[in-house]
Amino acid sequence: MSETNQALTAEQAYQEDNDSALGFLKPQFHEEKFPTVQIWGYIGSLVLTFAAYLLVMNHVLPPVALLSVILTLAVIQAGLQLGVFMHLKEGRGLAWQLIPLYLVFLIAIGMVGMSIWIMLFKSGVS
Amino acid sequence: MSFSHLAHTLFPPSVRLPDILLIDVGLVLAGLGILGLLTKTRRWGWLWREWLTTVDHKKIAVMYMIAALVMLLRGGIDAEMLRAQLAAPGAHFMPASQYDEVFTTHGTIMIFFMAMPFIFALFNAVVPLMIGARDVAFPRLNAMSYWLFAAGAILFNLSFIIGGSPNAGWTGYPPYSELLFNPGPGENYYFLSLLIAGMGTTMTGINFLVTIVRMRAPGMTLMRMPLFIWSAMVTSALVLFAFPPLTVALAMSLFDRVFGSSFFTLAHGGMPMMYVNLFWLFGHPEVYILVIPLFGVFSEVVATFSKKQLFGYPIMVVSILAIMFLSYGTWVHHFFTMGAGPGVNVFFGLSTMLIAIPTGVKIFNWIFTMWGGRVQYTVAMLYQLAFIPTFVIGGATGVLLAVVPADYQFHNSYFLIAHFHNVIIGGTLFGLLSALYYWWPKMFGMKLNEQQGKWAFWLFFIGFWVTFTPQYLLGLKGMTRRIYTYPSGLGWHNLNVISTVGALIMGAGFVVLVFNLVWSYVYGERDLTGDPWDGRTLEWSLPSPVPEYNFARIPVVHSRDAWWDMKQKGQSLAALRPEDVHDIEMPKNSPIPFLLGVAFFVVGFGMTFKWWPIVIVGGLGIVLCLLFTGFDYDDHHHLQADTVRQSEASLGRLQG
Repeated sequence: MSETNQALTAEQAYQEDNDSALGFLKPQFHEEKFPTVQIWGYIGSLVLTFAAYLLVMNHVLPPVALLSVILTLAVIQAGLQLGVFMHLKEGRGLAWQLIPLYLVFLIAIGMVGMSIWIMLFKSGVS
Repeated sequence: MSFSHLAHTLFPPSVRLPDILLIDVGLVLAGLGILGLLTKTRRWGWLWREWLTTVDHKKIAVMYMIAALVMLLRGGIDAEMLRAQLAAPGAHFMPASQYDEVFTTHGTIMIFFMAMPFIFALFNAVVPLMIGARDVAFPRLNAMSYWLFAAGAILFNLSFIIGGSPNAGWTGYPPYSELLFNPGPGENYYFLSLLIAGMGTTMTGINFLVTIVRMRAPGMTLMRMPLFIWSAMVTSALVLFAFPPLTVALAMSLFDRVFGSSFFTLAHGGMPMMYVNLFWLFGHPEVYILVIPLFGVFSEVVATFSKKQLFGYPIMVVSILAIMFLSYGTWVHHFFTMGAGPGVNVFFGLSTMLIAIPTGVKIFNWIFTMWGGRVQYTVAMLYQLAFIPTFVIGGATGVLLAVVPADYQFHNSYFLIAHFHNVIIGGTLFGLLSALYYWWPKMFGMKLNEQQGKWAFWLFFIGFWVTFTPQYLLGLKGMTRRIYTYPSGLGWHNLNVISTVGALIMGAGFVVLVFNLVWSYVYGERDLTGDPWDGRTLEWSLPSPVPEYNFARIPVVHSRDAWWDMKQKGQSLAALRPEDVHDIEMPKNSPIPFLLGVAFFVVGFGMTFKWWPIVIVGGLGIVLCLLFTGFDYDDHHHLQADTVRQSEASLGRLQG
């Protein structure tokens, strides 16, 4: 921004601050009348959680199959939560949603992967 | 359940010690006194309207700060008790079981219920004002954060009166905290109160991240944000990623204790070491959550009182971001001795040393800011000057601890204790007190007495070094952490006596501090200008205390130190034209956050003793609160332009 002693109006400053690529950052307000999607998303999350819980508690599957099934349920639930509660579908350009998502995956995989790496020694100790 | 059984559950012998009974009497009398006073002065409506239901970030800041100071008192008394027990060899100042409880509550309270709320008090008090906003992004969520914190804090502090305190250390490692070895309700209190308070903390992290990203005044680009705002943003991001692992670890431990699962138990294939891993996956970022906001405070304080722009602003931003990323890659240095292979330990040892570099960069920048400036030795600045050498020495001993082979000697000795008190007191507490003196006029409208403040400062500073220098030496002489008592003849006695004397000096410092706060509240110099320090950032452009709507007109920012720049150009926000004032949209007060806190407290208390009917009642309360707030669209009101004009005119800030 050029140095100027003349006070900008709020609108001008806002335009200078945010170029056209960042225009989506402008506050957008719209009120949903009734959060149907969110309620179904909530119920869906609960169903997926209890499905995993019951599978584990009732020992209906052999260990490897059980692990793959509950992992699948977890991935479905993560997708559901991202779509319903994290506004993944709301159109402001997929590129803007992907960068934070990559970051999230990086951190999550870093935490899980490093934890596995750290805890591997246990197989040699116990 | 018979009455005597109930009485024994609620009041086991561990809470019937004479000192605790004395406190019980004191608390009951104080409670009755407060209730009586509120009734006599007819303040119940005032309390409800102005405080319990408020969503105003400035009032929430005051409530956080009062809670933090009370918790500082409690944690400080715990510390004095520990030092009294350790002052002489073979002492029995208190029973061993109580000693375990006191070191546990000391650590937990100081970290979670003193430092965290104090930091959030600063965020709430300052962040919206500094970025030129009228409130945080989600005001009601902000109030919910506060009341969840309050519910957790009250639940935790209830433990030593009813049922018995937790006693597994502030980290709550299994198997110490496992049901089999620790059957009382104490650890349930620990897990539940931290879960409840932790939810509030996570919500605060989201709130301030969104506030800073979305609600800055026009013209305030990222690189024009004051450094305190950068630090608040980085801290919020750290909170957002650090608290989920803690929540998971605490919830799984609670399941182990209450529902009989075995995630971390010794039996049935549980893995106690996984708790340690998860706890420090949170715990190391937490260390930076505790210190980064104070880096921000010091950056503001040093620039204001040196009358210079902060030296190397871009480098400061880069180093704070580097600390944010690196702090996720160092957590294993808290448990090198657990026995993971050399590959793991070397990786985390090196990453720990790496993080010292950006921190060192910041130290140099603060020194260069003072270089050639006209430094004013106010109390806030004295804490800054004390912070630099203290934190450098604390950091240097931290690098010693990061050397893996050496850590096998230092681990869990008093060397470690001295190190982390060195950084947490030298960094966090000095920073908090600096911020207290710096922003008190903005929060309460009067300056704190500088003379008394200097007394408190010197007592804290000298007391700190007298307390913790001997502890480094004790650690090298083999004294271990959490030791209850020790025989004479080990050469530990004299050093322990010196350390206890230091703790008493710090206690005297706290007394002077409280006297200073109370004296200044009554007799202190009123801040009539709103800018008592000749400050540089936007909060000083407002009157003290700040009106409800903060800015009658949102300012436009042209440069980094926005207010300083305006003053240099002879501009002011005080000369407002009446036609520039419009209706202001403000959040409405709501009882929901308070009721939600009450409901969570009920659930927490019920689950501590596994009284399921109480848990169900509290759970229903939570669901009702959430449903009600979810469908409550009538959450804001418009402050009429005329009201704002009158208010500004009464402050002498309106033209014509």
